Amino acid sequence: MGRRVLIVDDHPTFRRFATRLLKAGGFEVVGEADDGRSALAAARRLRPELVLLDVLLPDMSGFAVAEALAADSGRPLVVLISSRSASELAAGLERSSACGFIAKSELSAEALAAIVNGRP
Amino acid sequence: VRAVRLLVGAGGAALLAAMLAGALHEDVLSAGEAWTHYAVVSFISISVGLLVWERRPGSRIGLLITATVLAGALSELPIVLPESALAVTIGLGAINLAAPFFAHLTLSYPSGRLTSRLDRAFVVITYVFALVYAVPLLLFYSPRSTYDPDVWDCPSCAVPYTHVAWYDVTGARRALDGVLFVLVVVFLTLLLRKLVRAGAGARRVVLPLLAVLFLLAARFCVELALALTGSSANFWTSSAMFWAETIGLLGIPLALAIGLLWGRGARSAVADLVVELERTPPGSVRDALARTLGDPTLELALWLPERESYVDGEGRPLELPTPVSGRAVTVLGDSEAPVAALVHDPALLEQRALLRSACAAARLALENERLQAELRLQLAEVRASRVRIVRAGDEERRRLERDLHDGAQQRLLSLGLALQLMRSELGSGANGAARLLGEAEAELGAALEELRALAHGIHPAVLTEHGLGPALRTLAARSPVPVEIKAVPDERLPAPVEAAGYFVVSEALANVAKHARASAVSVHAACEDGSLVVEVEDDGVGGAAPTAGSGLAGLADRLQAIDGRLTIQSRAGRGTRLCAEIPYAVVPAHR
Repeated sequence: MGRRVLIVDDHPTFRRFATRLLKAGGFEVVGEADDGRSALAAARRLRPELVLLDVLLPDMSGFAVAEALAADSGRPLVVLISSRSASELAAGLERSSACGFIAKSELSAEALAAIVNGRP
Repeated sequence: VRAVRLLVGAGGAALLAAMLAGALHEDVLSAGEAWTHYAVVSFISISVGLLVWERRPGSRIGLLITATVLAGALSELPIVLPESALAVTIGLGAINLAAPFFAHLTLSYPSGRLTSRLDRAFVVITYVFALVYAVPLLLFYSPRSTYDPDVWDCPSCAVPYTHVAWYDVTGARRALDGVLFVLVVVFLTLLLRKLVRAGAGARRVVLPLLAVLFLLAARFCVELALALTGSSANFWTSSAMFWAETIGLLGIPLALAIGLLWGRGARSAVADLVVELERTPPGSVRDALARTLGDPTLELALWLPERESYVDGEGRPLELPTPVSGRAVTVLGDSEAPVAALVHDPALLEQRALLRSACAAARLALENERLQAELRLQLAEVRASRVRIVRAGDEERRRLERDLHDGAQQRLLSLGLALQLMRSELGSGANGAARLLGEAEAELGAALEELRALAHGIHPAVLTEHGLGPALRTLAARSPVPVEIKAVPDERLPAPVEAAGYFVVSEALANVAKHARASAVSVHAACEDGSLVVEVEDDGVGGAAPTAGSGLAGLADRLQAIDGRLTIQSRAGRGTRLCAEIPYAVVPAHR
């Protein structure tokens, strides 16, 4: 059975395709959220092992959501995604508690698995 | 009023003539000549007083001069006409009446108005005191049985009508003289205060008169001191006193004449002003006017017709003071369309001619000054609007970047995921379709990259979100020529400043990549004395110049809009050094 994933992104089309892509890649997508606050609520309710988290959300930054998730009892793994490149986000990524970053254009089940499996 | 003046003049002349005749006939003091002097001086003084009264009916000065001289003459009446009970009564009643008129005159000169409350109170006290002083003399003094050696005594003299009973009033007079002495000292102090407080222009008018008045006051002090010590005037003091009095009394009309002459002098000061304004730099008209008018407190208010308000030389709005503020306002030009207004010492109103001619002389210069103030205001507005335009431009760029990111970019990214899905659905069969899919993915990747570069060029999100330091590092990472970042500011700066700093480095690095053929670039950005100073230096071929329409020229414009400065050192073969100074405190726009 694949990892339980929560997908957080404010673009519904992107979420829909990402869900199908990850499912096809063997992940179990347990939920979707479109902003920071509902992401935190969903994480508490659904207890995912992994949160795929967009950096730029309408209500708060993905970095802040990652901080909050790290303080949460479930402590899911967080992988940040963004349409911006890693170099553009370098300042935030350096300080972030997230375990990895994937540019949205590079997103695939394999890329996600590589990051997750790299960290037991 | 004219009839009153004529009557006073005729009466004064008749009185003086009668006194002179009486004195010559009686041979009082065996000094007929002295009395001739006295009568002539008094006559001249009364004439001047009446003349001033005529010329300046609004001012009390003429009246006060006349009253002072007449009161002085009246107090001498018993000496020349000792047998007349009327003369003795009037003379004793007016014994010190010249003094309050005199105090009133001097303290209110040249305007005729007592401006300070202290002066007013003092003058009232002196009038009351003069009347009080006369009371014991009128009631209890008789020249027929006097023991007072200071006051004249003669057995054949008339007794005043008001005489009640004889009583030795020497003690009372000594006490009252003591008070009088104190009053004189206070008076001199008030005079000095008046002189010190007067602006130089007013002082010029007052000074000659005050000099004479001081002489008279000093003479009066000596007289009083003699009376107080009980010593009688010896020959020397009496002749000195006589001359002091003569010179003093004659000095009053003289001083007035000199004041007038100096008024003419002031007019030649206007001539100087005209010459001076020729070479007065703009903005200094106020100083030149203040010098000419002798009023260092002078303020200049320039009228801006478009705003219908007054501003100072710097273009700051200015309210004219209200009449109760103790400042006077003189408006130049007609009241419908004024050019400017002078806010000045009210004493200058006494020199209307000077004020008028100085204003006329300065009018052209003031027109210029006004245009300058208007220009300065417009310039400030243009600068403010330039800053606003740059800000609005930056804001627009930010919005565009955000729109691209949220819209097209997200759709393309979704498309990428869809293609990936399609690839996995396709499985390993259908080679042709898989190849096509690969090409589509590659094309999509290129489109995304171009879109991101475009968005980044429009306005880098990293700058908005993380500030100049991370944004410069991103730029450095993208540069094909190796970039060494030597310093970046730690703190966040105002958005226009960060944007300007960023675009300086961005443009410089783009130029290095395109033209410089450099092997290394260094970037140094730091806060120094309230400015962000950004330096970009390369070791390339040099020869960069901000030609019109070039990126560097646009950069220089952007910097100027926020009061920044761009300097370029780029000698052929010596590399290029670009330095931008951007103050963070953007100059606030004038209203």
